[in-house]
Amino acid sequence: MSLIRRLVFGENPRRTLTRVIVLAAISFITFRWVLVPIRTEGSSMLPTYETSRLNLVNRLAYLGGRPARQDVVAIQMAGPHVLYVKRVIGLPGERVSVVDGTVNINGMPLVEPYVRHRRPWQVDEVTLGPSEYFVIGDNRGMAAGDHDFGRVDRSRILGRVVF
Amino acid sequence: MPRRVLAASAVVIAAAIAVWFVTQSADESTQVRRRLDALCAAVNASTTDGRGPEARANEFATFFTDDVEIDLGSGALPIRGRATLTSMAERLQPRTAAFTLKFEDVTVAMGPGGTSADVHLTAEFLRRDLVSGGQSLDAREFTLGMHRGSEGWQIRRVAAVETLK
Repeated sequence: MSLIRRLVFGENPRRTLTRVIVLAAISFITFRWVLVPIRTEGSSMLPTYETSRLNLVNRLAYLGGRPARQDVVAIQMAGPHVLYVKRVIGLPGERVSVVDGTVNINGMPLVEPYVRHRRPWQVDEVTLGPSEYFVIGDNRGMAAGDHDFGRVDRSRILGRVVF
Repeated sequence: MPRRVLAASAVVIAAAIAVWFVTQSADESTQVRRRLDALCAAVNASTTDGRGPEARANEFATFFTDDVEIDLGSGALPIRGRATLTSMAERLQPRTAAFTLKFEDVTVAMGPGGTSADVHLTAEFLRRDLVSGGQSLDAREFTLGMHRGSEGWQIRRVAAVETLK
């Protein structure tokens, strides 16, 4: 067997082929149903996530649990190909409001070390339903009108953003 | 593997592909999807093909029924009627030329009789800043009501879905 053939196919071509197929299958399953690659676009999650960066969504993150406060989650729109990336700040049953840019949970201010700049946003208090979460981006330096945030149903949360 | 088996396998695969292609082409939901693709193509068509804003707006209007209702949500006034939509499309063309429309995650549910369909999709708007050359992406979720009439599949109702309430 020539050197090039040995380098490409290995000592045992059949075993190499099996390895390639197994590796391809594992990669396909992992990146389609477990760790879904996404490209973030937009400035709403600055400075935590910059635009045009590649990130991964762990779709199994909430199989045995629920989203926790300060988790960064991917939220699906009509399907899984276009997603919002937001941070969970309010949990089911809680009262959420924003007063002069500070988030209040059940009337108490929320400490948010990931927020660098704040504009004096005002959001009237809302009480979340039993399956609702309040999500918001980290970039509070932009105008509230240009920033998508609010209540979202648990069924729309695809998974937790990792890396 | 004997050649006869290989030939038979090839014939079976080719037949399966042909059947799939024919059924896909005839399927009404595929027609709806194609119509939506055509709408995107019409919106994204270059403005340098020699046609004027009126001709473009008229072509755009063919995708909608006379009594179309468009509710963009977020406090925007609803748009009622194809004539209103056509005049708006004509006036807004310099702005719409700066963005590209794409539909993602399109789900089509056919109504009884096959003459109506409910569509759920995400619309992606890629805006090009003509000054800086930069791009920004915006996306919104919509439900569409479509109707098949003498002019083919047309959009009768558009409603924005509040993903985040």
